[in-house]
Amino acid sequence: MRPLLSKARAPGRAAVLRHGGYSRRQVYLLFLLPALLVIFAVIIFPWLFTIWMSLNDWQIGMQQSFIGFANFQKLATDTRFLETIPRTLFFTVLGVVAPLIFGVFAAEVFHQHFPLRGLLRGIYIMPMMTTPVAIALIFIMMYHPQLGVLNYLLSLIGIPPQLWIYDKNTVIPALVLVETWQWTPLVMLIVLGGLAALPTEPYESALIDGASRWDMFRFITLPLVTPFLMVAVIIRTIDALKSFDIIFVMTQGGPGTASETINIYLYLQAFAFFNIGHASAVVIVFFVIILTLAIILLAARERLRWTQ
Amino acid sequence: MDTVARLDALKLRLRRLGDRAALAFALFLVISPAVFVMFWMLSLAFKNEIDNIAYPPVWIPNPPTLANYKQVFERSPFGLYTINSVIVSGSATLIGLVLGVPAAYGIAKGKAMGMGMLIMVARITPGLSYLIPLFTLFRFLRLTGTLVPVAITHLVITIPMIVWVMISFFEDIHPELEEAALVDGCSIWRAFVSVSLPLARPGIAVAAILAFIQSWNNFIFGAVLAGRETRTLPVAVFNSMTYEQLSWGPLAAAALIVTLPTLLLTIFVQRHIVTGLAAGAVKG
Amino acid sequence: MATRSVSRRDFLRIAATAGAGLAALPLLANCTPTPAEAPKAAPPTAAPAQAPAPSKPAAFDWQRFKGEKIEVTFTMGNMVDVLMKYHKEFEDLTGITVGAEQVPEQQARQKQVMEFNAGATSFDVCHYSYHVHKRLFAKNKWTVDLREYLNDPTMTPPDFDWDDFSGGAKAYATDSEGRICSIPIKIDFWMLYWNKELFEAKGVAYPKTFDEMLEAAKKLHDPAKNVVGFLARGLKNANVPVWTHLMQGWGVDPIDAKGNFYTESPEAIEAAKLYQSLLKNYSSPGVSGFNWNECQSAFALGQAAMWQDGIGFATPLEDKTKSKIFGKVGYGVFPKGPKAQHSAMFGDGIGVSSYSKKKGPAYYYCLWATNKVNQLRVLQAGAAVPPRSSALSNPDRAQGSTMPGEYFECLEGSGKILRAGLPEIIPVTEFRDIFGIALTNIIGGADPAAELKKATADFKPIYEKSEKG
Repeated sequence: MRPLLSKARAPGRAAVLRHGGYSRRQVYLLFLLPALLVIFAVIIFPWLFTIWMSLNDWQIGMQQSFIGFANFQKLATDTRFLETIPRTLFFTVLGVVAPLIFGVFAAEVFHQHFPLRGLLRGIYIMPMMTTPVAIALIFIMMYHPQLGVLNYLLSLIGIPPQLWIYDKNTVIPALVLVETWQWTPLVMLIVLGGLAALPTEPYESALIDGASRWDMFRFITLPLVTPFLMVAVIIRTIDALKSFDIIFVMTQGGPGTASETINIYLYLQAFAFFNIGHASAVVIVFFVIILTLAIILLAARERLRWTQ
Repeated sequence: MDTVARLDALKLRLRRLGDRAALAFALFLVISPAVFVMFWMLSLAFKNEIDNIAYPPVWIPNPPTLANYKQVFERSPFGLYTINSVIVSGSATLIGLVLGVPAAYGIAKGKAMGMGMLIMVARITPGLSYLIPLFTLFRFLRLTGTLVPVAITHLVITIPMIVWVMISFFEDIHPELEEAALVDGCSIWRAFVSVSLPLARPGIAVAAILAFIQSWNNFIFGAVLAGRETRTLPVAVFNSMTYEQLSWGPLAAAALIVTLPTLLLTIFVQRHIVTGLAAGAVKG
Repeated sequence: MATRSVSRRDFLRIAATAGAGLAALPLLANCTPTPAEAPKAAPPTAAPAQAPAPSKPAAFDWQRFKGEKIEVTFTMGNMVDVLMKYHKEFEDLTGITVGAEQVPEQQARQKQVMEFNAGATSFDVCHYSYHVHKRLFAKNKWTVDLREYLNDPTMTPPDFDWDDFSGGAKAYATDSEGRICSIPIKIDFWMLYWNKELFEAKGVAYPKTFDEMLEAAKKLHDPAKNVVGFLARGLKNANVPVWTHLMQGWGVDPIDAKGNFYTESPEAIEAAKLYQSLLKNYSSPGVSGFNWNECQSAFALGQAAMWQDGIGFATPLEDKTKSKIFGKVGYGVFPKGPKAQHSAMFGDGIGVSSYSKKKGPAYYYCLWATNKVNQLRVLQAGAAVPPRSSALSNPDRAQGSTMPGEYFECLEGSGKILRAGLPEIIPVTEFRDIFGIALTNIIGGADPAAELKKATADFKPIYEKSEKG
């Protein structure tokens, strides 16, 4: 901080600052510099390492050799890796849509006035503050096929016991349920912010027209909060794509490869097989996938702004 | 006329009552998953082994036992791990604030979203990819075995979080206020410190809390970079797993130990988080 | 508590009759002069108490590295619990402070390799599995060759007795160039746990052959009563030893010493088919997500009639507070296959990191951890099979033990039919992962022959690459 401070304070400089808009911008960039440098310092070495290693064939404890783009070529035909992509996308779509639906509903509820609203809202947002590893452990216990409390609750309403994370067909929904449990509050908060900013006039005129609650939601609320929803979608998409802790703790990608997402596959390659070259190529492909989706969503959001 | 009005009033009252009931029911639906999972964690953590694996489940610990906690603290130094977590997340948050708040200001005022994206690259990069090179690097720098590597890597979590939340706060501050200060002969830095910073205080609180919690909850950095004496809580909790599958009590107790601080923090500052996130971050 | 104090007295007695291990018991060693202690007493204070390595003492002295501090990393398990309980003994005996921790298996394996690769380790002593890391560690010389120490009478006490370790264990610890890279600390034999109560209730006898085992699983499988016929690991990676163990019943290993593959041989397919019928039809519905700990809990709750796994997982079954089937557990030698009868064997060792700056004290720790008394303790706790013959054949082993006599009979019976459970190859983790997935798919109903064929095709190039260097 110190150098920045003294620079900004330097008398000759400050004089210029107050006049030319151009150099003022430069000063603003100086504010940004320390953070940028620190982030850069932390991630530059890993990035260079990753890029270099992605061009090498290296497994820890074995010979290293430069092989150009062979790691990427191998990835393009590696069925196990290729299968992780649609699986990750499936997980992501569920992990975005479910919190979105529940989050919007919850925001509508918390937008109303009722006693103890603050406390209840506080309780409601607790899940997003909890430690994923800890929550995953609790859900493992709740999902236990024989002794788990969830199967007991299901049995009360006459639904047969489920295998949850122990079956390859239900494992991803079961994992998404944990994600949804944890991240719906975030969506709720974002949408709540949007609702608070809404104008009241459309509702009043709709009330006069005798519109139903659903109509008001469908034709007034939803279009107005869509920009906020887009923010939620972007954040959730990036986080769901990168989701690791919960899957790692609960299934490690199993049964078989039924919940092996790109990130879990990456973990296996890097930390179980120590295939550093191969894993580095996966990192780069994975990064490109996340970046592409993020850019597409950002662009969609911009377009939405324009059309409104 | 009169009867019609009365009927209308009754209708209105009925409708309100119906609305109330519907709201109460909706509220119940919305809040029960959070409450139930928390309740179950508490229940597991305070029941004895036999009740924990009883079927049908035993709901209320009777009598509640602290044996699970005793076992957790006997098996591994959870006290030390808690201190480690506080140090790591605390310092990563503080440094993150010192670096991230001015950075967010710079981005907001300088309209430098491009630069902001650069910081976001750190958030988008798969965290796993940092670990092997950083481990080797820290080993080379002889920093392993201390909390420094863990804290440094946590900056990758806290800085983007703080920047992300703060940008919109600074964007919301009325430019005139600052301009006035600048006209009065303040440097930009002074204007930042004396005008914008105080105005953005609620935002800073939210950013600090969210960054702290994100860092507190991080598992994988600590899992790879920390050693026996530098382990953070989530790693310790994970390590108490894999041992005996049905030691549910101690596991739940460990899970509660790591989550409790974040939950208390949430209750304590929920208003800030709600208003803060609602007012600021969402526009990012 | 009562049993613990009794067992402690027994240790002393057993140690005395075995004429060994006394050095590890400072209390006793201090008041009763014994042969083991004699050499130490001879040169009054020849060994410098403070300054370690450089000056060479004339005889072995436990106190030689007094004041040092070492770090030990263990792979989590019951055996480690037993050892860690007695660390005070080591510290009193040697004056060396021990910082030790248990790390869950998967993380321990990952962490050790990363640290070795980084060229410096946070630990001085490292506990690792031969069936996973023997070749990799040996190839990179990550652990110290202990031959020099073992042959040096000033570094190894006479009562340590390297030749007390069984031939198989010594072979495990020795690499292809004859270096001794570690000291064997535990062996695990695979066998069949069976629930006597369930067997008796249906009038079924303990199976002698694979056919009888399948038949018994069928008869005892009773989902309505929440009882399954047969349990074994279904979780990918962890499940591979189950299959290789079954394969041994056909007299075949997945990959032989010459590198020939039998992973898609008719025998391998038969074994996979048996695995499929047992786990698909007569096991828990979620078995493909089960590791040993899920199996252990279900078995301890009385929810399974049979459980195939290592004998080292027995401890909690004989613990009244954890086991609902206390006193009803049968320990059976694994049934005979169509061609052969074998118990799959796995082993762990404890070695000194080549990057350690405290190799001497670290080696002392290895000596202590694998001494006769501790090996016997591990055996008596039912936590693992000790590689030392003296512990295994100790006539008093059952006394002061929490394990029933049948446990030791099973040990003995299995000990006669041992066969290495996994091939000694470098990419063993990939091997377990790839074939593990195939096996999980097989439980799900996939065709064993097709799955094994695909897995073999996937794995062969990885293996060939690893052998090239």
